[in-house]
Amino acid sequence: MSVDPITLEVARNALEGIADEMNLALIRSSYSPNIKERRDCSSALFDAKGRMIAQSWGMPVHLGAMPFSVKAALQELKEWEPGDVVVLNDPFRGGAHLPDLTFVTPIFHRDTLVGYAANRAHHADIGGMRPGSIPADASEIHQEGLRIPPVKLRRRGRWDRDLLELILANVRTPKERVGDLRAQFAANETGRRRLLEFIERCGPERFRMLVEALLDYSEKRLRAALKTLNPGTYRFEDALDDDGRSARDVRIRAAVTVDAERGSVVVDFTGSSPQVEGPVNAVYAVTASATYYTVRCFTDPGVPPNDGAYRPIAIVAPEGTVVNATPPAAVVGGNLETSQRIVDVLIGALAQAAPERALAACQGTMNNVALGGIDPRTGEPYTVYETIGGGFGARRGKDGLDGVHCHMSNTLNTPVEALETAYPLRVERYELRPGTGGRGRWRGGWGIRRDVRVVDHRATLSLLTDRRRSRPYGLRGGEPGAPGQNVLIRNGHEYELPAKGVVELQPGDVVSIRTPGGGGYGPPEERDPPQREPNPQAGKL
Amino acid sequence: MSPLRVGVDTGGTFTDVVALDLGTGRIETRKVSSTPGDPAVAVIEGLRRLLAQMKNSPRDVEGFVHGTTVATNALLEGKWAKTALVTTEGFRDVLEIGRQDRPDLYDFFVEKPEPIVPRSLRFEVPERLDHRGRVLRPLDERALEGIAERIQREDVQSVAVVFLFSYLNPEHERRAREILRRGLPPSVPIVLSCETLPEFREYERTSTTVMNAALVPVVSRYLGTLERGLREFGLGCEVRVMQSNGGIASVAQARRLPAALVLSGPAGGVAGAQFLGELIGHRDLIALDMGGTSCDVSLIRGGRPRLSGEGAIAGRPLRLPMLDIQTIGAGGGSIAWVDAGGALKVGPRSAGAEPGPAGYGRGGTEPTVTDAQLVLGRLDPERPLGDIPRLDVEAARRAIRKIAEPLGLPLERAALGIVKVANANMERAIRALTVERGHDPRDFALLAFGGAGQLHAADLARALRIPKVILPPAAGVLSALGLLAADAVLTFGQTVLQPLERADWTLLRSILEGFREEGRKRLQEDGLPEEHITFAPSLDLRYRGQAFELNVPLTPEELGALGPETGARVARRFHEAHERAYGFSAPEEPVEIVHVRLVALGRGAKPRLPRRRLAEPPEPRTRRPVCFEDTGWVECPVYEREALYEPFAITGPAVLEGQDATALVPPGVRAWADAYGTVFLSVCE
Repeated sequence: MSVDPITLEVARNALEGIADEMNLALIRSSYSPNIKERRDCSSALFDAKGRMIAQSWGMPVHLGAMPFSVKAALQELKEWEPGDVVVLNDPFRGGAHLPDLTFVTPIFHRDTLVGYAANRAHHADIGGMRPGSIPADASEIHQEGLRIPPVKLRRRGRWDRDLLELILANVRTPKERVGDLRAQFAANETGRRRLLEFIERCGPERFRMLVEALLDYSEKRLRAALKTLNPGTYRFEDALDDDGRSARDVRIRAAVTVDAERGSVVVDFTGSSPQVEGPVNAVYAVTASATYYTVRCFTDPGVPPNDGAYRPIAIVAPEGTVVNATPPAAVVGGNLETSQRIVDVLIGALAQAAPERALAACQGTMNNVALGGIDPRTGEPYTVYETIGGGFGARRGKDGLDGVHCHMSNTLNTPVEALETAYPLRVERYELRPGTGGRGRWRGGWGIRRDVRVVDHRATLSLLTDRRRSRPYGLRGGEPGAPGQNVLIRNGHEYELPAKGVVELQPGDVVSIRTPGGGGYGPPEERDPPQREPNPQAGKL
Repeated sequence: MSPLRVGVDTGGTFTDVVALDLGTGRIETRKVSSTPGDPAVAVIEGLRRLLAQMKNSPRDVEGFVHGTTVATNALLEGKWAKTALVTTEGFRDVLEIGRQDRPDLYDFFVEKPEPIVPRSLRFEVPERLDHRGRVLRPLDERALEGIAERIQREDVQSVAVVFLFSYLNPEHERRAREILRRGLPPSVPIVLSCETLPEFREYERTSTTVMNAALVPVVSRYLGTLERGLREFGLGCEVRVMQSNGGIASVAQARRLPAALVLSGPAGGVAGAQFLGELIGHRDLIALDMGGTSCDVSLIRGGRPRLSGEGAIAGRPLRLPMLDIQTIGAGGGSIAWVDAGGALKVGPRSAGAEPGPAGYGRGGTEPTVTDAQLVLGRLDPERPLGDIPRLDVEAARRAIRKIAEPLGLPLERAALGIVKVANANMERAIRALTVERGHDPRDFALLAFGGAGQLHAADLARALRIPKVILPPAAGVLSALGLLAADAVLTFGQTVLQPLERADWTLLRSILEGFREEGRKRLQEDGLPEEHITFAPSLDLRYRGQAFELNVPLTPEELGALGPETGARVARRFHEAHERAYGFSAPEEPVEIVHVRLVALGRGAKPRLPRRRLAEPPEPRTRRPVCFEDTGWVECPVYEREALYEPFAITGPAVLEGQDATALVPPGVRAWADAYGTVFLSVCE
């Protein structure tokens, strides 16, 4: 008995609805602004073999990488019982970087394991050498925070108090953490209950068939889309400005081979830089995530993201390079910054196969800013983690969007009024940077300027940003976007800050982050009317 | 002649007019084509025809309520007034940056809605408050005078003023209005964020305030034209308008806060569902309004519709409390298609009213949900539908074949599949509205109306395990009927951000009492007697550190006795609500009061619907073959919908055919009618 196209669509709707509901539960019940306001989290359902069957909306960088978490948990833990919940964040055993904690809950129907619910959330602090746990000066993973291999945080329905205490003792804001951990547990519970209801309705045998059909369906759709690309091998190369430890750039190189006959693609990163001392090494899961994301955007963004959608994609990432780091490499920025550059490189390659579907480079960084200190109003420690949007690349027929998160990130900002109420900080300026988009027939999007003053206390600033020297490339004759800039304003003087680094701030200091613009598309002379230098006071060109 | 109450609901295609004779309880309705150029024309024409049909004069009309799409369409079509925005220095781009996210993750060609105020009309003024509302930097009045001049030169029609933290201290915004006022013509409204939405989160407050400012000239103009037209026609009574919160308001209130009208249209349906539910004793309802292009789903709990403060329109947040209505692109005209992976999809593309489904015979060739229902024998092709004299089954079959052939399915299977996939889309929307918010659909009845809702209701209820379906009489004009039954509703809110344990109760009480007196005053001005006015105060609470709030009601007595003791009671209620909504609570954690809120309600007189009991159960008008999922084609009795009253009781299959909607009773489902002509289906037994 096969699954007809109607049942398939009905089941897809139901399973994706469950994943969305999990994520909503996570956002609504979590504590930290990073999850609640910024929605830096994702949820998904897996079958008994650990294959992803449905995922929620959420962070692209999470979604391609979460299957690795579930597979690692399955590999390392052989005994699963009802009521267990596994937590992990170790980038070398299923994680992406330490602040992302993944929860995996087994789902039992009667006595049979039928699947897993999993979610991942970015915690604002997981310990380590710097508040906010994105230490730009780390040189090994042990400095980046607490490393958690796949272990059971709940056993048979009860929290493992010892383990929980151990985790909380290693983070700077334990109260917030415990609230978020509870929310992650609750989200998986929602997924577990709903999936069981679904299986009750269709029966376990039918459920297994539906899963196979859904995976096959995604594979079929992606292959159909890949067949529309021009076959060939396309190469591209780009770089990160530095690794935070030395000024050498970090090369990412890819050769993308499209087989239009079979509808498949091979992405080979051979030739990328060996892993570096600073924290911009990407683990394989992150590289895979960036690859899946780019292929999906280029082909058919509507393909239901599940294990089947990965089948037509093969990845070659040599061990010991920045795209497949090995212990004890520091990796926190691999997930945040290197992932963005991998996307830039793959778009640059695939643009040769289908220029009309490509876009020029986006800002190419998440502009990670972490601040921490003692709040003079309460005497309590605080940590804030923010990422800032910038210019989106121009597309054929459209200018790039201004001031948005690009590619692997889509987190919301923290409202100024929420930030200042919660922390001893003052936002002095939050505005677009006119004219920072690369000129072109269609211009690149503008970057953002966000100035934050430290009020009445000393604070530690961690910066993990990129495209401060290099510029987001333009396409088909479009010009590159303007680079970003990190500036310290102290007593009215401006001092240039590094792209990556740690700075001790004095009371009254202002950190001014100016994010890059996107690249332009097509020659600027072909713009109608021709583009001139923009007047910042005027509207848009 | 006894006095009449009239409701007029402007829709995309038709304007529905319904009149209730307050003496006899008689209800009459009239449909006329809408006039999108000037919607007031159809309103007055519909009223004229209905009064002629009832042999009444305009003088007999003592109540007039209007559901309008003017505000909604202005926002959807970009036809707002030219508006300027004045902000705190450094923050003029908040409106454009929004929350920094992009609406679609995987689409390289994604777009964001254009900001309503372009950058060249966004002006910054030096001033700043801190997070406690204290002045960090005084307002630069000279700079503001310069801005007034520039705004004047730009021929702007409306101005919005949004300063950071103005919800804590409105002084700067108010002073800014005084200064701008001196430099601008009196016809240009100046809208302040502290008066539109005194709540934190600057982007959402800016977006809401700007939308309101941009709508003031548009809505004022329309309501002015309408009022004048109605006066000339001879109407003597006040005009009232349906708001997004499900309550009615005076024209003066609607002009002040036009952004509160964006759901004016669909709100009538919810009010109708609420009224009917009250009448027949069902206070927990899922209201499903399925029309030609879309489907609106909303929730009524304990007799009151659910309000949400997280609304948005056309991608722009609008944070006034409004009915929580989920709209999905699933209507009778939704088009079915097969995607590249071989799955069957329905919508969101729609054949609309023109050309409409293939079966309308107006040149449509694409397979729609209505075509599927026609192929399955569920619609009678000989029955006129509005101004379509008969439906074309052959055209519908040709259209459905476009789906059946590539999928290798028999025609009926393909048609059943289309209906099933459309149902799956609606099911997901209903789940989003219920289970995701901590409600179990099994605790509700499904009330289905609109042109297409009653064909799908039984299947949907079965999928969601909703035990009972309610098919209201007059399904096609329930929205207009709702206008006659709606109460007057005013909502108030303000951000306070205080720890519950150490709250400044005197301050909170004075805010709430201020809201109460303002509400009482405005409702009394609208002619509502004191004894019909009630107040529902509440607090939005969260655990300190969270960023979403839960609304916890206060009793009117608690408002008077606000203090630590009430605080403890409220905290308990909050822990319980959190447990219900998210599966856990944390009683040891500190709780924070985020907003105080108050709803002022002026209860209007309710229509009395006539009751009937038939001497004999009604007989089917005819029989015809109808195709169902489980049974295939079966001979099915067809009843005249309007003739169904007590003691009608049958077991499906059956078709109930009405003037403007057809209902389906699947095999094995019990159906019965009450004395109002409501039909009930018992689905899960």
